[in-house]
Amino acid sequence: MTSKPLPSLIAVIDIGTHKTASLLGQIIDGKARMLSFSERRTDGVVKGTVTDLEKLTQCVHEVVNDIERGSGRAVEQIYLSLSGPAAEGERVKGFVAVPAHDGKVTAKDVSDAIASAKRLEPPEGRTTILYMRQPTMLDNRPVGNPVGMAGKRLEVTFWRVTMEEGNMRMRVGMVNGMSIRVRDFILASHAAACATASDADKQGGVLVIDMGAGTTDWILYYKEHILCAGSIPVGGEHLTNDLSVALRISRETAEDLKLRFGSAMHRENDVNQTIWKDGDKGVGDQQFNRGTITQVLSLRYQETIEFVRKDVIRRLEAIFPGHAVKLDQNMIPSGVILTGGSANLADAAEAVQQVTGLSARVGVPNFENESLRKPEYAGVVGLMTAAITDAPPPVRRPRGFLAQLKELFRL
Amino acid sequence: MSAPASILLVGLGGAGCSMVTRLAAQLPAEVGVALLDTDARSLPAGGGVTLQLGRAQTRGMGTGGEAALGQASAESEEAALRRLFTGVPLVVLVTGLGGGTGSGAATVVAGLAAETGATVLSFATMPFSHEGERRMRQANDATVKLAQKCHGLVVVHNDLLLQQVSPDAPLSESFAAADNWVGGALRGLAGAFAPGALIAVDPAALRSILSTPGSPTLFAFGVGQGEGAAMKAARAACDCPLAHAPGAVAKVASLFVYVAGGSAMTTTEAFEAVGAVRTRFGGETSTILCARIEPSLGDRIEVSVLGASLPAPKAVAKPKKGAKAVDPSQPIFEFATEESMRRGLFGGTPMTFIEGQDVDVPAYIRKAVRLPASP
Repeated sequence: MTSKPLPSLIAVIDIGTHKTASLLGQIIDGKARMLSFSERRTDGVVKGTVTDLEKLTQCVHEVVNDIERGSGRAVEQIYLSLSGPAAEGERVKGFVAVPAHDGKVTAKDVSDAIASAKRLEPPEGRTTILYMRQPTMLDNRPVGNPVGMAGKRLEVTFWRVTMEEGNMRMRVGMVNGMSIRVRDFILASHAAACATASDADKQGGVLVIDMGAGTTDWILYYKEHILCAGSIPVGGEHLTNDLSVALRISRETAEDLKLRFGSAMHRENDVNQTIWKDGDKGVGDQQFNRGTITQVLSLRYQETIEFVRKDVIRRLEAIFPGHAVKLDQNMIPSGVILTGGSANLADAAEAVQQVTGLSARVGVPNFENESLRKPEYAGVVGLMTAAITDAPPPVRRPRGFLAQLKELFRL
Repeated sequence: MSAPASILLVGLGGAGCSMVTRLAAQLPAEVGVALLDTDARSLPAGGGVTLQLGRAQTRGMGTGGEAALGQASAESEEAALRRLFTGVPLVVLVTGLGGGTGSGAATVVAGLAAETGATVLSFATMPFSHEGERRMRQANDATVKLAQKCHGLVVVHNDLLLQQVSPDAPLSESFAAADNWVGGALRGLAGAFAPGALIAVDPAALRSILSTPGSPTLFAFGVGQGEGAAMKAARAACDCPLAHAPGAVAKVASLFVYVAGGSAMTTTEAFEAVGAVRTRFGGETSTILCARIEPSLGDRIEVSVLGASLPAPKAVAKPKKGAKAVDPSQPIFEFATEESMRRGLFGGTPMTFIEGQDVDVPAYIRKAVRLPASP
């Protein structure tokens, strides 16, 4: 799409419900070398929705300051992650009848088809944030590069992500306040997939589920391309909440018990285990039935995965109307990759396997720094990977804020 | 009715009427019963006072889930309702929120009862999660309004009820659990005011506990039997799910504790039970104690706890830019509504619906799974 070289310095920021993480990397031979990393507790976000912009802005500023100080370099532009229910995805299609007398597709046909797909206006009050290319179809057959191939009907499809205008401006404004430009938005689930799924996974078909604190984002790849993506407004915080409600304990205690004794599977044997909150059996220590903990967590965890499963099917049925969609290993040979902070819950993969009927594994980001090779960092590491691998849209010299925005979002 | 009863039990709406009808049989004679509904079919002929609301508005057909219609129906019967409540010191209103009559009329009925000088204690059931968004919202709105009109409001969650019984139990059993709680409370209150109690109280004392409309109300009920029955009952009351929903009041300043037992109950036992209840619920400012011997209970002991705390005034926060203007008629404390009770840490955030269920409510509550007992 563009020949503009990547900048040698890439900064990314992943604003989650629980934590905000930022990574600054130097790009050498198409690979990122980490210069600095920072993460802080997010303030002002509940269930993936911004509730206190002032606090969130301050948090973002602190994180960016951290990476600037840590590296001694100034950040000029940054990639922002986009997650949760605010970013809604849909499939848009454009096609042309191949006109040439010899029936061979030309580059102009492709660009015409792309233009016709992008001509579709987003719903009222929403702005298109990004387009992600899906397989090109020539006479209903998926093809790689169609130029020069013979056919009658050329169809291009995109996964288009839109966002409510005010929400988008708020996010851009937050970063612009530091005199930093938003270079691009990257879909958080796509980022997580870039960090944890191999090209072979994406080629065969893989479902990546990124369960964070506030939301669970998922994305399905088929033949290297995004087929569809979605988000469920339930995450790790709900696990903690359920436990705090059931055991009548504080959020902090619930979080602690979840990590130490929690599981996504409830087993008969758990009921016979008594666990202690502090372990010293002293004053203020409390004992709990481990079965209660695993029962509460497994119900919530499996329900959330079930919501994801239904959402995937619903979206696939919208794409292939009239077909009864069934998720199975034939369709998704690489199964499920589970990532995000909540993938750390014990037996998470086993629970996903049970609910979806697909093979499942916990995905750890593939990165040179060992400290970031944890599921909770798949998002921020993936942003870096995605920024490098995805052809970035051309950004010309800015001519004022509005013109700059247009450049960014019209591609 | 010859003389006004000391306690008037009022069933309002379909759910309220059916619960009161089920309870009426096991109540002592001091409790008068009145049934109010818009749907003529749920008002049986004979058996207590009945009043059909909104004859002009609904023509005896019910409200079809419209709260506004329920409210108008109750308002149209204002005179009759005032007559009903005149001279009654304590009105206990039982209603199911979510539908039209309960959600709409409860506020009006409670308001009128309070205006005639009665102490009003309401028991309101909340719809099951599976009843969907609209009814849940309607019920939520109604609890907030109702809390302002009553001296005490106890919210009973239908979802919680389901957890009290085994998964394969018939539906009637879970409703029986609700009857048990509310019935226990009523027996407690009736027993306390009836002549012949070992330690008696009068309705004015109860009034002193439930003095401020809208203040969070605590209610718990427990039964124990056999060896150490009093402590068993006290522990059961401490574990009563009604008192344990998160966001419910943990400790209150004033408590009303009622202990009833068979003729074998000893003073030591009764005071042990009260001690255990006080350790759990507070009652530092005042604890009104009431005990009674009920030979029919045999070796069973029942403990009912009712309490309210005068809310600590919240520090007046500096108004934030763009913050919603505070309605001066609203009290400055937050009432423990259905929201905060079931949604825990998510109380106060907008509800998130998937497949018609508020997913911020714990999964085990919505799926009505009974949790393993604590050690």
